[in-house]
Amino acid sequence: MGISKHQQQLLNRWALILSMPLFFGGWEIISRSGVVNPVLFPPPTLVALALYKWATQGPLLIDIAMSLSRVLVGFISGAIAGILVGILTGRYQFIANLLTPVFQLLRPIPPIAIVPIVILWFGLSELGKWFLVFWGVFFTVWIAAHLGVQRVDKTLIRAAQCLGTPEQKMLPEVLLPGSFPYILVGLRTSVSISFYTLVAAELAGTFSGIAYRIDIAQQNLQVGQSLGGLIILGLISAIADKAFGAFSKKMVWWS
Amino acid sequence: MNPEMPMTANQVTLNSPNRNDGPMVGQPGYIAIEQLSIAFGSGKQSFLAVENFSLEIYPGEFVCLIGPSGCGKSTVLNSIAGFIAPTQGTVSVDNRLIDCPGGDRGMVFQQPSLFPWKTVLGNVAHGPLMAGNSKAIAYRIAQNFLEMVGLVKFAKHYPMMLSGGMQQRVAIARALANSPPVLLMDEPFGALDAQTRFMMQENLLKLWEDLKTTVVFVTHDIDEAIFLADRVVVMSANPGQILKDISISLPRPRAIEILLDQNFAILKKDCFDLIRQESLLAFEQQKKGT
Repeated sequence: MGISKHQQQLLNRWALILSMPLFFGGWEIISRSGVVNPVLFPPPTLVALALYKWATQGPLLIDIAMSLSRVLVGFISGAIAGILVGILTGRYQFIANLLTPVFQLLRPIPPIAIVPIVILWFGLSELGKWFLVFWGVFFTVWIAAHLGVQRVDKTLIRAAQCLGTPEQKMLPEVLLPGSFPYILVGLRTSVSISFYTLVAAELAGTFSGIAYRIDIAQQNLQVGQSLGGLIILGLISAIADKAFGAFSKKMVWWS
Repeated sequence: MNPEMPMTANQVTLNSPNRNDGPMVGQPGYIAIEQLSIAFGSGKQSFLAVENFSLEIYPGEFVCLIGPSGCGKSTVLNSIAGFIAPTQGTVSVDNRLIDCPGGDRGMVFQQPSLFPWKTVLGNVAHGPLMAGNSKAIAYRIAQNFLEMVGLVKFAKHYPMMLSGGMQQRVAIARALANSPPVLLMDEPFGALDAQTRFMMQENLLKLWEDLKTTVVFVTHDIDEAIFLADRVVVMSANPGQILKDISISLPRPRAIEILLDQNFAILKKDCFDLIRQESLLAFEQQKKGT
């Protein structure tokens, strides 16, 4: 028996609609069936209850605000620095020669590995958290901007020169917009990088934040809250990624 | 002034005397190339693209460089633009040695090369803005030049929404909006279909007759060269040298019917024979690997 095209489309639609309910329903059943320890693997209804209590009686909003502020400060400063330095190293051989060897040495170091040093330098302050996120974002954006500038159509640069564009205007008028499609790819990757750097930063020691709360709840065996924190983290980074995708489309309206 | 071509742009920026006023004494746009040689690479890999090339182009002249592919005609053009430094010899415009690109030499490339993130109007206004004009004036100049190429209705469009021919018209308007004394064109219509190409050629001649810019136009299309030019400079390949400097005395303004003219046919045969010989020679050289 064959399935008509229409039926196939209907099935596909239902698959999309049922995806989430099936996942949470299956989870609920497995947790409650007794196959697993319900204390260590609580069902989603209990996770939801823990989230509710965290929101109403606990500091959920403050945790979200703290985590978001760390991501935002680190991401924005890392992005701006990465774009500026990347355009300079991409355009000027001298600056590239000066900086690239050092950056290529530092770039592969996972941000998590520098957590101990960051604690020594900045203690448990916010500055340390910003620095870690900055570190994760900067190198990714830098390499994207660096390569992006070098891939800007040479004829566009020549055309700009023939129109009397002075070198200092070349950056805002041609190099930046010309490399922007590449930079945006780097920025989008950096959105997820900044979230996992945030987790490393908060686990290393702080007094608030989503990842910090996940860690504390685990120590108190409040597994529901830990899982709830994971879901919040997943939601926030998914929304950030989607929002950034929409933002990208707006920013490179010409391609 | 040409009555068919409403002149709007010159009211803002251009002084545009009639083409038939005689020689342009004191007008800018004089190009002097003296014993120009350009080599690429170094040592054994070194390749002489242009050798001992001397050419004078007078203000307001329309000169076409033509020759077999690889004869260095684009190299000569790029050295006038300031993209390529001479290995030997000099290039000067209005007695100023060329050592870098600048707004005094507009250029139209084979590909339109418009800034994709700017509107059509923004592209054309770029030059006037860089020249220090206020936004209002730059946009007014741009508007006028768009009118001259018949694209004022597309001012707010982005380049990718336009056809290849339209994009190239925008590129011409953009290059002219700075009112450069010299306009360099590197096979600007090479990528267009035959119909569009004819239209572009006629349009370009009208613009030039009004603006009196010196034009150096590189092409490999003999018809195009004779139709457009005051002088056709035929180049030889390996290395690029001047084979013949042919004066085209066909009357102006020219319309496309001139292609059927007997004088046109004679000139065309001249050029064709020269280029054919050169192409055969180049072909033989390539076979021998020299």
